[in-house]
Amino acid sequence: MSLHDFSAALYATPVSTGIRETAGVIPTTQSLHILAISVVVGSALVMELRLAGVLATDESPQSVVRRYLPWLWAAVAVLLATGTILVVGEPNRVLANPLFWIKMGLVVFGFVLTLLFRYPILHPRFQLEHARWASLTRPTAWLSLLVWIAVIACGRWIAYAI
Amino acid sequence: MSWESFLQGLYDSAIGSGIRESGLLFPSIETVHVLMATTVVGTIAIVDLRLIGYGSHRKGARQLILDLLPFTWVAFALAAVSGALLFSSNATGYAANVPFLSKMVVLLLAGINMAIFHVTAYRRIAEWDDALPPPAKVRISGATSLALWIVVVFLGRWIGFTV
Repeated sequence: MSLHDFSAALYATPVSTGIRETAGVIPTTQSLHILAISVVVGSALVMELRLAGVLATDESPQSVVRRYLPWLWAAVAVLLATGTILVVGEPNRVLANPLFWIKMGLVVFGFVLTLLFRYPILHPRFQLEHARWASLTRPTAWLSLLVWIAVIACGRWIAYAI
Repeated sequence: MSWESFLQGLYDSAIGSGIRESGLLFPSIETVHVLMATTVVGTIAIVDLRLIGYGSHRKGARQLILDLLPFTWVAFALAAVSGALLFSSNATGYAANVPFLSKMVVLLLAGINMAIFHVTAYRRIAEWDDALPPPAKVRISGATSLALWIVVVFLGRWIGFTV
């Protein structure tokens, strides 16, 4: 089954039709999606700028990551859930769109980056300055912020690209 | 000049028609608007949650506000400028759009709520800086702000479906 066939089959399901044709479902889901993006932006901004050595440098990286990483994970879960509703509701608008797949690739990249370079910081005995990748802390902070910005930009452009 | 002729003038202006007629300008400006709006809401939410009583990366509320307010203001200024440019591309349409007008009213309410906070509780922040939970007045102020900004996001998204 090609991607096009899959998209057409998904479009024809009652769930997809229900999402599309029930007034308010798509705008409400998109609004929740944007609110969750705001949580990602706020959490990532403070966490990554702390690790880049720009913000709140008198607080330990561990305490800052401990405060914001759980919010980032929770927001990503909400984004996956609301994003799935939007894909199921309008598969034809999304699945054939290269920008959607670029966005998904960037999301996976941002997720792996966070998992490899931020998640370990939560461990009580972890010391950032002794990590093998200590020299990568600042570059990965700026890279993460760039990735999230690119994800948001791709998301907005999905509506315009054919 | 009447309000109607001002809106029509904006619609017909080089900026307004340029954004309307270009295929790339509107989505580009809209992307900036979304990035800046999410930065405003994200940073304000961190402060509001602290005012409600959810601890942050700073022990004191004052230091948290000082950490984040510059980001909020710069992002708000850029959101306002990009929003004004989007408005100019269809000034007459947005000015007659109920979600748009509601959004402006709710933004004004959020501004008033913040101004009240700054001239009342914030003046005496030394008394409750480290207090968790903060005094009831402060918690109400934070909860009101968070609720208003959530409504702003919903109304902003609704404009795109109704204009």
